[in-house]
Amino acid sequence: MSSQALLQSSRPWLAGMRDAIPLLGAYIPIAISFGLISVQAGFNAWETIVISTLIYAGASQFLFVGMAAGGAPLWLTVAMTLLINIRHIVYAPNIAPWLTRNRWWPWLMHGLTDQIFALAHSRLPHMPEQQRIGWYTGAAGLAWGSWVAGSALGAIAGDWMIKSWPLLSEVMPFALPSLFLVLLIPRCTSIRWVLALSVATFAALALALFGYSNVAIPLAAVLGAAAFYTIQPRGGSTT
Amino acid sequence: MSSALWIAVLVTALGTLAMRMLPLLWMRRHLRQQANSDVDALPQWLGILGPLMIAAVLGVSLIPQQPDATSWSATLLGCIVTFGVWYRTRTLGWPVAAGVATFGMVIVVGSML
Repeated sequence: MSSQALLQSSRPWLAGMRDAIPLLGAYIPIAISFGLISVQAGFNAWETIVISTLIYAGASQFLFVGMAAGGAPLWLTVAMTLLINIRHIVYAPNIAPWLTRNRWWPWLMHGLTDQIFALAHSRLPHMPEQQRIGWYTGAAGLAWGSWVAGSALGAIAGDWMIKSWPLLSEVMPFALPSLFLVLLIPRCTSIRWVLALSVATFAALALALFGYSNVAIPLAAVLGAAAFYTIQPRGGSTT
Repeated sequence: MSSALWIAVLVTALGTLAMRMLPLLWMRRHLRQQANSDVDALPQWLGILGPLMIAAVLGVSLIPQQPDATSWSATLLGCIVTFGVWYRTRTLGWPVAAGVATFGMVIVVGSML
């Protein structure tokens, strides 16, 4: 069944879950790694699960357990963990025009990770209004559940799993760039957009390669925006 | 885990939720203040920043776990196959599955050489 057909289905949460399946290829191996590192840092399995459930913020969770285990001041640990996620402040406003008046939407933002934002930003505009909250709940819920379950697995049996299937943990994370590529291709509607998106992609790649992973995403997006505004549109169109 | 660490977890969790939730509440109020709450009400710079953030996330995620020649080749071929399958099917799932399969095959073949 095509994704478009799923969006028209009577069970939008199921369509959301199916759209989010590619995310699991990356979420589960990384969550298993987090669970393993968390236990090695001195947290027990339940504490690891609580951290993944409540904070639910990928890289910053690694930083949190690392700094806490290293004896860093707690205020600094909290500040650094939040600083890494500062890019998230632009996500919800970007999808706000397609969110309905349902009072649950603000609470559902707990699940608005980089990947769910990318997915929602591409899918929400193309589906009927009444299906959006169901679709988002399905997609974000599956991603959240897989992250928590992966963390639990990692905390309980991560060491054994990584030794048993080393290839799987190396290959499956490629689902993420593959998915982002599919989400971005339809946005290449003009030379201006192609260049701006390329600048953002390769700037982020270069920054991360040189060890600036934490600032790579916001800085690369700003560089891409600079490229977008530098290139003059044909015929005066702004987008 | 000490009480202080539990409090740190809760503050971090609330802070992360606030960073995701409060901008939505701000934007909803902004949209309500506009006579028409359609897409045009979105500030132009914000609409441009959205896809660029996705592109930046793509850039970061392109770096393989083991950044050697085989992994980079697998990344390049995986992207080419992903694009090719998307071009033919215009779907979400098949291009990702084909891209991951290609990436995996190149890694396996590379490890045997």
